[in-house]
Amino acid sequence: MFEKVLTRNFSLPRSESIDTYLANGGYQALQKVLREYTPEQVIEMVTASGLRGRGGAGFPAGRKWAFIPKDPQIEKYVCVNTDEGEPGTFKDRELVEKDPHQVIEGVIIASYAVGAHRAFVYIRGEFFLGVKRWIKAIDDAYAKGFLGKNILGSGFSLDLSVHRGAGAYICGEETALIESLEGKRGQPRKKPPYPASVGLWGKPTLVHNVETLANVPHIINRGAEWYASIGTPKSTGPKIFCVSGHVKNRGIFELPLGVPLREILYEYAGGMAFDKKLKAVIPGGASTPMLTPDQLDIPMAFETLEAAGTMLGTGAIIVMNEDTCMVDVARRLMRFFAHESCGHCTPCRTGTTRMLALLEDLEHGRGKAEDIERLEEIASKMRGLTFCPMGDAAANPILSSLKLFRDEYEYHVKYKRCAVAA
Amino acid sequence: MAMVNLTINGQKVSAPAGSTVLQAARLANIDIPTLCDHPALAPIGACRMCLVEVKGQRTLQPACTFPIAEGMEVQTESQPVTDARKFVLDLLFAERNHYCMYCEMSGDCELQALGYRYGIDHWVYPTYTKRFPVDASRKYFLMDHNRCILCRRCVRACSELVANHTLGVRQRGAASMIQADMDVPFGQSTCVSCGTCLQVCPTGALVDKRSAFMGRDIQTQHIQSTCAQCSIGCGMEIVTRDGNVLRIEGDWNAPVNAGLLCQKGRFDPLYDARPRITKPLVRKNGVLKEVDWDTAVQIVVQALKDTNAKDWGVLTTTYATNEALYLLDKLFRQELGVTNVGLLNDVAPKMVEKANGSLADVNNSDIILLVGANPASEQPVASFFIKRALNKGARLIVVDDQENGLAAFASMNLGMAEVEKAIEFAQRATNPVVLYGAGVTSEAARALQKLSGKAAFVALEPGVNTRAAAALGLNSGFDPSASKALYVLLGEQNWNGELVKKDAFVIVQASYQSPLTERADVVLPMAIWAERTGTVTNTEGRIQKVNKAVEPKGEAKPDWEILSLLASKMGKKIGTSLDEVSAHAAQAIHPS
Ligand SMILES: Cc1cc2nc3c(=O)[nH]c(=O)nc-3n(C[C@H](O)[C@H](O)[C@H](O)COP(=O)(O)O)c2cc1C
Ligand code: SF4
Ligand code: SF4
Ligand code: FES
Repeated sequence: MFEKVLTRNFSLPRSESIDTYLANGGYQALQKVLREYTPEQVIEMVTASGLRGRGGAGFPAGRKWAFIPKDPQIEKYVCVNTDEGEPGTFKDRELVEKDPHQVIEGVIIASYAVGAHRAFVYIRGEFFLGVKRWIKAIDDAYAKGFLGKNILGSGFSLDLSVHRGAGAYICGEETALIESLEGKRGQPRKKPPYPASVGLWGKPTLVHNVETLANVPHIINRGAEWYASIGTPKSTGPKIFCVSGHVKNRGIFELPLGVPLREILYEYAGGMAFDKKLKAVIPGGASTPMLTPDQLDIPMAFETLEAAGTMLGTGAIIVMNEDTCMVDVARRLMRFFAHESCGHCTPCRTGTTRMLALLEDLEHGRGKAEDIERLEEIASKMRGLTFCPMGDAAANPILSSLKLFRDEYEYHVKYKRCAVAA
Repeated sequence: MAMVNLTINGQKVSAPAGSTVLQAARLANIDIPTLCDHPALAPIGACRMCLVEVKGQRTLQPACTFPIAEGMEVQTESQPVTDARKFVLDLLFAERNHYCMYCEMSGDCELQALGYRYGIDHWVYPTYTKRFPVDASRKYFLMDHNRCILCRRCVRACSELVANHTLGVRQRGAASMIQADMDVPFGQSTCVSCGTCLQVCPTGALVDKRSAFMGRDIQTQHIQSTCAQCSIGCGMEIVTRDGNVLRIEGDWNAPVNAGLLCQKGRFDPLYDARPRITKPLVRKNGVLKEVDWDTAVQIVVQALKDTNAKDWGVLTTTYATNEALYLLDKLFRQELGVTNVGLLNDVAPKMVEKANGSLADVNNSDIILLVGANPASEQPVASFFIKRALNKGARLIVVDDQENGLAAFASMNLGMAEVEKAIEFAQRATNPVVLYGAGVTSEAARALQKLSGKAAFVALEPGVNTRAAAALGLNSGFDPSASKALYVLLGEQNWNGELVKKDAFVIVQASYQSPLTERADVVLPMAIWAERTGTVTNTEGRIQKVNKAVEPKGEAKPDWEILSLLASKMGKKIGTSLDEVSAHAAQAIHPS
């Protein structure tokens, strides 16, 4: 049985309170860092741990921290990405609602390492409880002297506050998040420059996912070596997998990276609900290409999923059984992406709308054979043409469902109805 | 400047470091198609028309935002590139209503041109059937959302160039719409009708009401000229077809305004509905009668000979050219010795020995003192410059006893008596600019001397060619009640002739009928701004050309020609050719 790291406090009573956190070793990593480590040493440790971003792209955290300019004259910021918009993902919300201090401790250590004195939580507007928990936790951390001026007498100061988003998936993308935080229309900026050099109000900014930051105190407490021993050589540490769809036990499961997909589904999620047959799995959130039952032994790590043509993404596993209409799945996904496209660039704005119209026609039996080709054409052509990665995110699941389940599309055209609903 | 070497389509190109691929390509005359890009605006990489292949990059990159690097290899028309562009065009054509044959812009539309270039001969995707609104609530131009491609040039022009921030985008994805303020009809918005968005729109989404469907660009002529509606002197192009002025566009290459115009310069002159004076008129037995030029001039010459110089009064508009003002001064003041000479508008007081500033200084200032001037209504383009500087972090202090159009943008509004406070702030600043107009009191003017050497002083002269008129000494103080005979160079301006003696003999050189022309004894028909060639001097002292775009109406003659005619009939040799008069005028305005 894997020893829980990130979710170890989740089952404790009032796990969100600072008292529970302190009683279970909370804020000790912070004290250690402030007393014993220079910022450079912290960055070295995080680099050595192999921690990779949990927000979707899996970028090595230590490398990102090292990009932030060292010059103390330059103001820097840290942003905690609590937007969690990727369909199927619900780990950050749990982390914030059940153990916010773990994240705060990570924020303070990260800020210390990169020399930031101002940090912001950007939280999705719909996370009502999350907002309350964030604010309460921040207030309590201030009261205990973990935030504010001269933290624990170290001379290091940090202010942290919460900013609520207004409900846009794209604001989870780090540059759109920054625009929104600045009070502007939430849409991505062009990259480069990356936020690490030109971010919030033009200053170097470290943007991290909630889960990424939650790992940091444990790396400090138990060492980089311990951390790197978990998982695979290229995907280290624990990961919170979110399992939804047609399984018996839906929910979050903390497991080491590299755990086989089969193990997650059958040992932890209890196998298929009503013992139906498995048809497809989306392994890392709505924007990742699908896997089929013959791929169940794949280790859930960044490199293995990439080699299989998909992505670990946020670790959001969506399970679909034999009764699922794959055309309908594609239509629902596309409705999401068309609705969430920011509208800045042509291929994403109009490509998603076009694909949605085609998918609606196909799903409702109005589709023609050419429509399938057209759909494939749009999805494959728009990839790589868009301003931000959202275009690829919208195209990927369509391409994979066309590759894996083309027969279902053809059935819809031929019989003007769904193969599974019959 | 450090140069970076790269190859584009195998051709060696070098461009200044920091350039984009598009800029480098333009330097080498390699054409990369664009839609959302505009040379005057910051690139946003939105339309994806300019995608190019950059060796080593995983995906195609937008040339308009991609920075060049040493040794970079770029392909601008390879198969993947043209496929991508076709795809983008297919999507754009199907997004809203682009049935070109009914569009005002057909023939001049950038989207349509690219459609031809990439062989878009049919709709690949079913056309979008949703209808979008047309907003015609603005007086001069309309917004047809059906033709909009969401390139956001208009939005950027409104915020980056005009600093007005009226336009924005609401909603997202395919529901994105260009809107004014918080989604109000354009005509009820904070729009100042400068028409900059209209000028940058690549499609038929923004349409000029007056010149709509009056011809394609290829059927028109563009005549470069200088706007003479205020003292800023913006460069413009007068667009004509078959001898009619269709519209006015800002000249992107003009030194003062770099493309910007305002409502006063772009639209208002074309909407002037006052009846023109097309023939010389002379009062006979109490009524004005049409006569020929010879007769009219003869009567004027006789009157000049008959009346004593001290009984003459001369009054002029500053809408006149340098040439006309020079001849007026030469003939009346210097040759005939008339001393009662004045302008139809005020003049900003002389502040510093040599006005050292220029309008460009506003852009780099950290504090702007606006003293006794109201550019928001008098010199709107200058108010755009001020607001642009504010966007960059400068602060504005308005010192005025009158209501000021920029008061809302000021971090401090002071009365003329409190000018010292403003001066204190300016003394602590790095690049202060003092913009002053005719409203400066003499006390305030004296106090502001303290900033000489520290601040850039830029006058915002009332009127148009006021700087030239003042330099020529035409503002020596005019008293209409002191003259028995009066020569008024009225031009296009209105003046009701108050205080003119009932029995005074009045000669008016004017373009439009007005109470003064009705009361006059001789009326000489004068050409308007689009019908004359010459020069004007802007508020910075910059002398610029105005060019004739259309023939004068009826028998009207350009302002200076009328005076030259009078002079020669009086036997005075003070210049007959335009070039000669211009040279003399320039010398008199800026004595070297
Ligand atoms: C369309 C889009 C949506 C995204 N949404 C989120 C999100 O909701 N939460 C998140 O942490 N990262 C999101 N990201 C990833 C962020 O851009 C960024 O990579 C991440 O916050 C970096 O943190 P990490 O290094 O800790 O993963 C999104 C990216 C894209 C392209
Ligand atoms: S791909 Fe383009 S339209 Fe889509 S979200 Fe990104 S920038 Fe916006
Ligand atoms: S109105 Fe014109 S300039 Fe503005 S976004 Fe639409 S097409 Fe572009
Ligand atoms: S011109 Fe470059 S993306 Fe529009």
